[in-house]
Amino acid sequence: MQYPRRLPRFEYLEPKSLTEACKLLLQNDGKARVVAGGTDLIPKMKRRDVNPRALISLHGIPGLETISHSQVDGLRLGPLTTLGAVESSTIVTERFNVLYQAVQSMASSQVRGLGTVAGNLCNAAPSADTAPALMVLGTRLKLISPQRERTVAAESFFAGPSATVLEPGEILAEIQIPEVPRRSAGVYIKHTLRRAMDLAIVGVAVAITLQDDTCHNVRIALGAVAPTPIRVPGAEAILKGKGRSGDLFRRAAKEAATACQPIDDVRGSADYRREMVEVLTRRALEQAWDRCPGSTEGKR
Amino acid sequence: MKEYSVVGKRLPRIDSPAKAMGQAKYAADLVLPRMLHGKVLRSPHPHARILNIDTSQAEGLPGVKAVVTGKDTKGVKFGGWRAFTQLIDQYPLCMDKVRYIGDEVAAVAAVDEDTAEEALDLIRVDYEPLQAILDPEAAMKEGAPRIHEEVERNICWSRFIEFGNVEEGFARSDYVREDNFSLQTQAYAPTEPRACLASFDHAGRLTIWTSTQCPYPVQCQLAAALGLREGDVRVVQPFLGGGFGAKFELFPYEVCCSLLAQKTGRPVKMMYTRQEEFSASRTRHAMKIWLKTGFKKDGTLMARQARAVLDGGAYTSFGPTVTFTAGFFHTLLYRLPNYKYEGYRVFTNKPPSSGMRGIGAVQPFFAGETQMDMVARDLGIDPIELRLKNARQPNEVIPKLTTVNSCGLSECLTKVGESTRWHERQSKLPPGRGIGIACAGQQSGGAFNWFRTRLAFSNARVRANDDGTVVLFAGAADIGQGSSTVLCQILAEELGVRFEDVSIVAADTGTTPVDIGTWGSRVTFQAGNAVRAAAIELKKQLFAVVAPKLNADPVDLDIKDRKIFAKGRPEPSMPFPEAVTAAQAANKGKILEVAGSYHPEGKGIVSPAYSFVAVVAEVEVDRETGQVKVDRLTVAHDCGQPINPMSVEGQVEGSVHMGLGYALTEQVVSEKGEMLNPSFLDYRIPTALDMPEVKIIEVITDEPEGPFGAKEAGEGCVAPVAPAIANAIYDAIGVRVKDLPITPEKVLKALREAQPNS
Ligand SMILES: Cc1cc2nc3c(=O)[nH]c(=O)nc-3n(C[C@H](O)[C@H](O)[C@H](O)COP(=O)(O)OP(=O)(O)OC[C@H]3O[C@@H](n4cnc5c(N)ncnc54)[C@H](O)[C@@H]3O)c2cc1C
Repeated sequence: MQYPRRLPRFEYLEPKSLTEACKLLLQNDGKARVVAGGTDLIPKMKRRDVNPRALISLHGIPGLETISHSQVDGLRLGPLTTLGAVESSTIVTERFNVLYQAVQSMASSQVRGLGTVAGNLCNAAPSADTAPALMVLGTRLKLISPQRERTVAAESFFAGPSATVLEPGEILAEIQIPEVPRRSAGVYIKHTLRRAMDLAIVGVAVAITLQDDTCHNVRIALGAVAPTPIRVPGAEAILKGKGRSGDLFRRAAKEAATACQPIDDVRGSADYRREMVEVLTRRALEQAWDRCPGSTEGKR
Repeated sequence: MKEYSVVGKRLPRIDSPAKAMGQAKYAADLVLPRMLHGKVLRSPHPHARILNIDTSQAEGLPGVKAVVTGKDTKGVKFGGWRAFTQLIDQYPLCMDKVRYIGDEVAAVAAVDEDTAEEALDLIRVDYEPLQAILDPEAAMKEGAPRIHEEVERNICWSRFIEFGNVEEGFARSDYVREDNFSLQTQAYAPTEPRACLASFDHAGRLTIWTSTQCPYPVQCQLAAALGLREGDVRVVQPFLGGGFGAKFELFPYEVCCSLLAQKTGRPVKMMYTRQEEFSASRTRHAMKIWLKTGFKKDGTLMARQARAVLDGGAYTSFGPTVTFTAGFFHTLLYRLPNYKYEGYRVFTNKPPSSGMRGIGAVQPFFAGETQMDMVARDLGIDPIELRLKNARQPNEVIPKLTTVNSCGLSECLTKVGESTRWHERQSKLPPGRGIGIACAGQQSGGAFNWFRTRLAFSNARVRANDDGTVVLFAGAADIGQGSSTVLCQILAEELGVRFEDVSIVAADTGTTPVDIGTWGSRVTFQAGNAVRAAAIELKKQLFAVVAPKLNADPVDLDIKDRKIFAKGRPEPSMPFPEAVTAAQAANKGKILEVAGSYHPEGKGIVSPAYSFVAVVAEVEVDRETGQVKVDRLTVAHDCGQPINPMSVEGQVEGSVHMGLGYALTEQVVSEKGEMLNPSFLDYRIPTALDMPEVKIIEVITDEPEGPFGAKEAGEGCVAPVAPAIANAIYDAIGVRVKDLPITPEKVLKALREAQPNS
């Protein structure tokens, strides 16, 4: 067992631009890490799980903590936008509520004040709460490196526990969330043992868009039940173009439970997790549907 | 009810402002000139022989001032059980073997923490790993490898209690049932990770400021471990951030810190990390309990038999007491004619278990009070009525063990039932909602002299100054439970002065008289009695001097609100400061200072008095996820006369919070002897958002043995919470979970077993 120690020695670098940050990352040849809020990275360093030679802080670069919104571009978050800032943004609460739900379920207000959405994604924990919410919002991630710039869909970003598709010298530069269609709603259900300060046993995010009385579009994403957060397209397909039906919700939920690959750990057994995926996916679908403006339930 | 001036008042605690404003200094805040920082190297193996330790590289690291291993110690074991020396079994640093992951192997002092930690990495220890024994039942088997060579079958301590004749009792019962219960390991998790600062003077005397609940026992044990005279060791307790029993003994790191200070001639400070506090301190005993109980059809309790196996961890610690009380508590709540108990505390390669808030009580009460609910349902008797029928009454003797003086159990049951509209709601709530009841009781300090002290368990000195101020010197340690405030209240009440006239110097073996420490809910009761005795003595001396001046007999005098007068005649009177001046003058200027003491003489082998409590839990259960939400806990509580009701409420809420975690979320999870969740994120103590509404009903009794009728209030309310919740879950969904914590997963499993086809 490793007892957490005081922080080891490391070099602290504060580049003045993202390009410079990418270059420093590349120069340090895998031995450097970007630090945003540090709420994942610093405890890992104290446990000696990671031993970077240098930390490249983004805090010397102006303008990275933005939350901007327009009809055309949708919502854009910078690499230093904190969970707390997202939580208290009215635009997020009003239009991207599923992200608000995910963020406010996380950690404590102190940790949310430091931790960032980008950090949550790049840390790539299977239980990262913002991931399922961002996936169902159709989020794209802008990645930059000295050589190139690219965007990837949120669900293509993760490569395994603590692993992403980020290449050497690459930094997550922007989180791009498209405008949400009018008759839509999203729900994030985080299953935990405590009501605060807890990591998900299972996380389920659902976003539904209605057209007339049928499901025009639906996205379902799961956290903590596979090596990475995942989408479950098989379950989504069951609902597309269909009307509200408890039976279809149950079938989709069952499909989600079949698609996931949970493991046993301190927080719960694989069997229990799978079972909860089924229960909570069904509940999230029901709730999201009924929250859509103009749904039969919503009209009542 | 008697009328008091200071006792029974909702006074803010004297330490609150300093704590609220961040001015209170805890052990980790203390700094001395030239101070070094110490760190401990701990075993990475649950069980291994130490073949060799090479410290040369560490010693060579610039900034390192000393490295110590077992060889640098006196090689004598220490422990609290001076009455049973075979139970003294811990070395300051392991000599030949390590017995759990976290066992102390070496210690370093360096100019700063970074250097000390770096030095730990440079110490080379060669281990020969031995088979780790993690399951107590396996450890008890004949032929199991031994954790302590001299201890057969790894049984650290066994305890048997028997009165009446259980065989006969069961034979005469109409209904007998047996159940098995399993209780998890709970972490103490005090807010303050422990720390100490040790410093030697030029005469070789040691002063140590340390986060301890028990300055005097630490003084004695530390002196023995270092080969010093007790009088040459001074133990000072700074502000303390919670103990719950975790800071009750001398710990190896305190000896290491002192040794390093001795060796370097410089003060040395050591601080535990949070992970060390979780995994290298103490835990609540995990227990397996088998309980058999017999009743008459009409609900009369006839006999009980219990067997408990306690997971002791690597050392004795306070385990023998837990082994005993885990048997005793089955006898406390109900009139029980026939009883038999066998308890075995077994060594395993895990952190040592000890006495934690609700010591040896929460485990048997979970078993007993859950089973009581099952019995009530089987016999078709209301659970409150079944309890009332058998409830302990005042002035009853429990054979061979103790006498219960005051007892408000029946009133607690009645009041908690009324307050929650029990009879209208039990078994009648909508599906998924339930209501459950459970009771408990707790000792007010121990009566048994395990520490073999020759001095009274509690002592106090009181000095009266001629300006009217009064100073109390008490060895009793305030660990956040508010004892210093309460002792000042007791003194002011008895002495007839105002609360603000009294100040206290506490928990410093250099300046305050001996007190056996803060454990077992003894301080208000036992130190309170010592303080009161001193106040009575002081009054006696004052009255002797004042009587002639007031033309009265000393025995007729009284004092109230700083004035001495003859009873029934308010004038003439003499102000308290004037009386003190007169008393000093009559003795040629000798200061007016007296001592008082309390020792529970002839009070059986458990405790002089007992608190009682009944709790009703109201829950909602999600049948699909197994999640349990506790909506409300109603607590009816008999702690005698509350000295400070606000403080009592704080203790009740704190206890209930701890009981809630025990019931639902808290559990030390370990694999191969390694704790997997040693952090506040992964070890789930309920947060503010998880707390239900708590309603407290005080049931006031007058305990003849307690100061102003007071009894314990700090521990008793932990135990009934888990069984009350378990019983409420049964009421809600018709299933029993008999092993704690009641996780959503276990609830679902129980539901499935109850309805295999759903
Ligand atoms: C007490 C506590 C409770 C927590 N509770 C939760 C919870 O409930 N749910 C949850 O999901 N998480 C939780 N966390 C984890 C953590 O707080 C979050 O993941 C947080 O969002 C991380 O953000 P950060 O800015 O602190 O990341 P950092 O620690 O700064 O970085 C995390 C990782 O991402 C990399 N990184 C950061 N930014 C970039 C970038 N722009 N480009 C490339 N790489 C980058 C870093 O190099 C590092 O490897 C908790 C943590 C703690 C300490």
